[in-house]
Amino acid sequence: MDISPVFFYLFAGLAIAFSVLVVLKKSPVASAFCLVVVFFMFAGIYALLDAHLIAAVQVLVYAGAIMVLFVFVIMLLNADSPSFDLGRSHLGLRVGAVAACVVLLGLFVYAFRASPLQVPPGALTAAQIDAAGGNTRVISRLMFSEYILPFELTSVLLLAGIVGAVAIAKRKLGAPEGTA
Amino acid sequence: MRIEPWVVLTFCSIIFFIGLAGVLIRRNILIILMSVELMLNAVNLTFVTFSRQLGHLGGQMSVFFIITVAAAESAVGLGLVIAMFRTLRSVDTDQIQLLRE
Amino acid sequence: MSYLPVLILVVIAIALGGAIQILSHVLGPKFPNPMKNSPFECGMPPLGDARHRFSVRFYLVAILFLLFDVEAVFFFPFAVTFREYLGINMFMVLEMAVFVGILLVGYFYVLRKGALEWD
Repeated sequence: MDISPVFFYLFAGLAIAFSVLVVLKKSPVASAFCLVVVFFMFAGIYALLDAHLIAAVQVLVYAGAIMVLFVFVIMLLNADSPSFDLGRSHLGLRVGAVAACVVLLGLFVYAFRASPLQVPPGALTAAQIDAAGGNTRVISRLMFSEYILPFELTSVLLLAGIVGAVAIAKRKLGAPEGTA
Repeated sequence: MRIEPWVVLTFCSIIFFIGLAGVLIRRNILIILMSVELMLNAVNLTFVTFSRQLGHLGGQMSVFFIITVAAAESAVGLGLVIAMFRTLRSVDTDQIQLLRE
Repeated sequence: MSYLPVLILVVIAIALGGAIQILSHVLGPKFPNPMKNSPFECGMPPLGDARHRFSVRFYLVAILFLLFDVEAVFFFPFAVTFREYLGINMFMVLEMAVFVGILLVGYFYVLRKGALEWD
C-alpha cells in the first residue's frame, strides 16, 4: 500500500504504547486520557488510508463523545481512586490469559504474512474514488442506495440505546436503593 | 519503502490483543469497557485496510455501523456501571457475586 | 499530500504552546507565596477540591449528547449528496425522514420521562 511509512510507524507506535498504558494504568482517568491519544492516532491512520470521512467521525464520536462520557462517569462515581486490581490475586490466571493472547497474536500474524489476498481487487481504487467525487460522496451514495436497510436499522438501534440508557440511569435521586 | 498490508493488519491484531488482555486481567469495570473500545477500534481499522486493499467500500460502511454500535454500547454499558455502583458502592467486577439484591 | 496544512497547523501549535510555556518559565520573575500557588478560581479563594461527585443529571445529558451526536454524523454524507437526487427522485429524502422520525420517537420518550428537566 502506498502510504507514508514515516507517519504510519509514528501513529502505530504511539497507538501501541498508549494502549498498553490504557490497560496498565492504575487510575481510570489516566487510562481514559491515554485512550484519547489512541483514538487520535487511529484517526491519523484512517486519514493515511484515504478514509477521510471515517477519520472525521472517529474524532467526533470516539475522541469527542464517547471519551466525554467515560470521564463523566469516572467523575460521577468519584472512582478515580487508584485500583490495585493488578496485584497478586489470580496471578496464574492472568499470566495464562496474557500468554494465550500472545500465542493468538502470533497465529494471526503468521496467517496474515503467509496468505496473500487472493481476491481480485474491486472497482473502487483510490484514483477512481477521487474521479467519482471523493470518499465522502461515494460513501454517501452507497449508504443511501445499497446499504439503506442497515442505515435505517441504525436508527432503531440508537432508539433502543436512548430508551435503555434513560431507563437504567434515570432513577429518582434520594429514593431508597432498589426502587425503580 | 512500501507498507505491506500484513503490517497494517499486524498492527490491528496487536491493538486487538492488548484490548483482549485488558479485558481478561483487569477487574475495574471502567477499564474493561475502555479495553472493549480498543478492540472495536482495532476491528474498524482492519475493515478499512481490507476496504482499501480490495477496492470495495463495504468495509468503510461497516465501520460506520460499528461506530454506532460502539456508541450505543458505551451509553448503555456506562448506565449499567452507574446502576452497579449504586448497588455495590464499587466498580470491581469481583464484587458481582449475587444473583439478586 | 492533502494533509500538509494539518501537519503545519499541528507543528505551529506545538511550537507556539511550547515556546510560550518555556520562555515564560525561563524569563519570568518568580516570587511564590501560598496564595499564588493555590488553584485559580475566578479570583475567589478556592472552594473544596475538584474531586467531589457530580449529579447523575450531567450523565443523562452526556449520554443523550452521545446518541444524538451519532445521529448527526449520519447527516454529513446526506448533506454531501442530497442535492444530486433532489429533483430526480425523492427516495433519499424519504429515507432520511424515516431515520429522523424513528429518532424523534426517542426524543419524545426522553421528554416525557423528564430526563432533560433540571430540578
